[in-house]
Amino acid sequence: MSDPGAAPVPTAEARPGLRPIGPGRFGRWGRSLREATLGYLFILPALAVFGVFVFYPLVKTVILGFYRTPPFPNLPSQFVGLSQYRSVISSTAFLESLWRTVLFVLFTVPIGLALGLGLAVLANQRLGGIQIFRTIFSSTVATSVAVASVIFYTLLNPEVGLFSYWLGRQGGAGILSNPTLALPAVSVVTIWQNLGFTFILMSAALQGVPDELLEAARIDGSGQWHRFWRVTLPLLSPTVFFAMVVGTIGAFQAFGQIDLLTQGGPSNHTDVLIYYLYQQAFIFNDTGVAAVLSVVLFVILLILTFIQFRFFERRVFYGR
Amino acid sequence: MPLDGVRFEVPRSASVGLEGVTKRYGDATAVDTMTLEIGAGEFLVLLGPSGCGKTTALRLVAGLEEPTTGLIRIDGEVVNDIDAKDRDVAMVFQSYALYPHLTVRRNIEFPLRARHVAAEDRSRLIAEVSTSLQIADLLDRRPAEISGGQRQRVALARAIVRQPRVFLMDEPLSNLDAQLRVEMRAELVELHERLGTTILYVTHDQVEAMTMGDRIAIMERGVLQQVGIPQEVHDRPANAFVAGFIGSPPMNILRGALATTGGAGDMQVVVAGGGIPLPDPLAAVTRRRGLTSLIVGVRPEHVVIDPGGTLSASVMMVEALGHENHVACRLEGGKLIMVRLATGEPIPRPGERVMLSFPGGRLQLFDPVTEVRLDV
Repeated sequence: MSDPGAAPVPTAEARPGLRPIGPGRFGRWGRSLREATLGYLFILPALAVFGVFVFYPLVKTVILGFYRTPPFPNLPSQFVGLSQYRSVISSTAFLESLWRTVLFVLFTVPIGLALGLGLAVLANQRLGGIQIFRTIFSSTVATSVAVASVIFYTLLNPEVGLFSYWLGRQGGAGILSNPTLALPAVSVVTIWQNLGFTFILMSAALQGVPDELLEAARIDGSGQWHRFWRVTLPLLSPTVFFAMVVGTIGAFQAFGQIDLLTQGGPSNHTDVLIYYLYQQAFIFNDTGVAAVLSVVLFVILLILTFIQFRFFERRVFYGR
Repeated sequence: MPLDGVRFEVPRSASVGLEGVTKRYGDATAVDTMTLEIGAGEFLVLLGPSGCGKTTALRLVAGLEEPTTGLIRIDGEVVNDIDAKDRDVAMVFQSYALYPHLTVRRNIEFPLRARHVAAEDRSRLIAEVSTSLQIADLLDRRPAEISGGQRQRVALARAIVRQPRVFLMDEPLSNLDAQLRVEMRAELVELHERLGTTILYVTHDQVEAMTMGDRIAIMERGVLQQVGIPQEVHDRPANAFVAGFIGSPPMNILRGALATTGGAGDMQVVVAGGGIPLPDPLAAVTRRRGLTSLIVGVRPEHVVIDPGGTLSASVMMVEALGHENHVACRLEGGKLIMVRLATGEPIPRPGERVMLSFPGGRLQLFDPVTEVRLDV
């Protein structure tokens, strides 16, 4: 960068009273130490917030899992070490709950992604009035779980619900109290609730696919399906991957719709992990077991996300 | 030469025809009743400034746009209702439009896969084309990992590998640096000679047009201005627009009133700062048509700095190109006039006042209203 013809720059050492910038008294080490200190200083506020609200509670929860909650309040909790972890993980209630959660994730995530992507592709056309459809498709992002639950509670109502009427289940036992249909019904609510968000994500990603690439593919002799699979979808893959990871984590933590629609019933058929945890913590006041469940849920999500990154990210194409 | 490997079993080429083709977007007319016939195997360059409708015309032939009215034919067959994917034409885009997620090999293979070409034929064709275009060592890289010039070759390879009836090229060289552009010009011409496939080539660069095209079609504001071989377009521009667009630097176009002192041979076009004398045959044309004003075109090489000249101007800038020098002079009215100095001629300094003369009266005359060239 320096101009070889320029006059020599006077060094700081040559001028008394000035200290040189750059490698100073402590040499390169001193400099990197100063930079590191400054760096840590900058992240300190964020670290403090995370520490108080995330790291401390996490550690505290793990420790809580080592203590058995006494059967009556005000008795001292008893340290049982890992045995509580072992007993909870091997219990039938936990395993059944975990299986239901897996089913719930399998019902909601792939279908939700496919629907969101499908709607985004449909709405990604230059048509008059398409804005109306885009608004409708993204509208559920503005509805809360409670609103979604109330809407579907009414639709599924055995006396007045439209869905019950269509499914020929009017008058009889409600869909939500049917052991086979309850979990799929709750899944439908969840898919509907998440559709707006997925739609917006996919629409934004679709806008990022250059028209020219699709035109080039068309001229190359590629039909609509071929173009979608070979050009559009690979370019959307980062978004699809993101939506999959976030959607899976979200599905593992779905609580509101289950609490409002079925309370885990009928006979535990919608008792997913997070609801089971909630019951242990706030219905049965068993903080020990609840803490174990929290830690287990955390570990499951951690492993699952790791697996997703490991196996699906390979198929993801980032950037140009 | 690098293209030795490409040899198609059957040379394929088809004629392309536009018959009264118009394309409107709302109130804007991008292409206005365009009629153009491109012969099978011809290299036709569609030339014009940006926004003149040339790319739209190309996209109409490709099938990426539908004409508002008019017919498009390929090989004599009307293709208005045939989808782009079935027109059997290949296109090279200005941005190359390579699939960023695919390797070079898969990019070149894409049109073959889309057409269900058998695997062994695919690998043979890819090997041939990539060797001839000198990109065989890049086959496993992604577009982001190769240079602009290499991307341009990949885009060409993807077009060639299909052995289409027609190549459509949309400013394919405009993203290359100057030196590479000159090289690729020669390679494209050679490619055309070797393959014999019809090429419709869009550019705004008149040097590309002059050096590459069998014929040039010049467009402005959606209207086809002139179609002809390069020399003809250069020497006999159909109108003032074509005259002012072709040539490097292009022809000077001046507008002025006609004046005479009554004697024979003293007719001149009066412009700010003096006049341009019209020699007899040209003066006769204006008299015959009863014109009172005129548009005059004069090529920079036909203007001379001469103390005895008839038009005064001040030197604004001198472009020294080494082998020749261009002098930009400003007339009193503010209009620029370019002068090309012959080798060895003294170079004026910027700011200097000079007189210009027009030896031999090598002028082109254009109608002041229609701007159409007046034949002598």
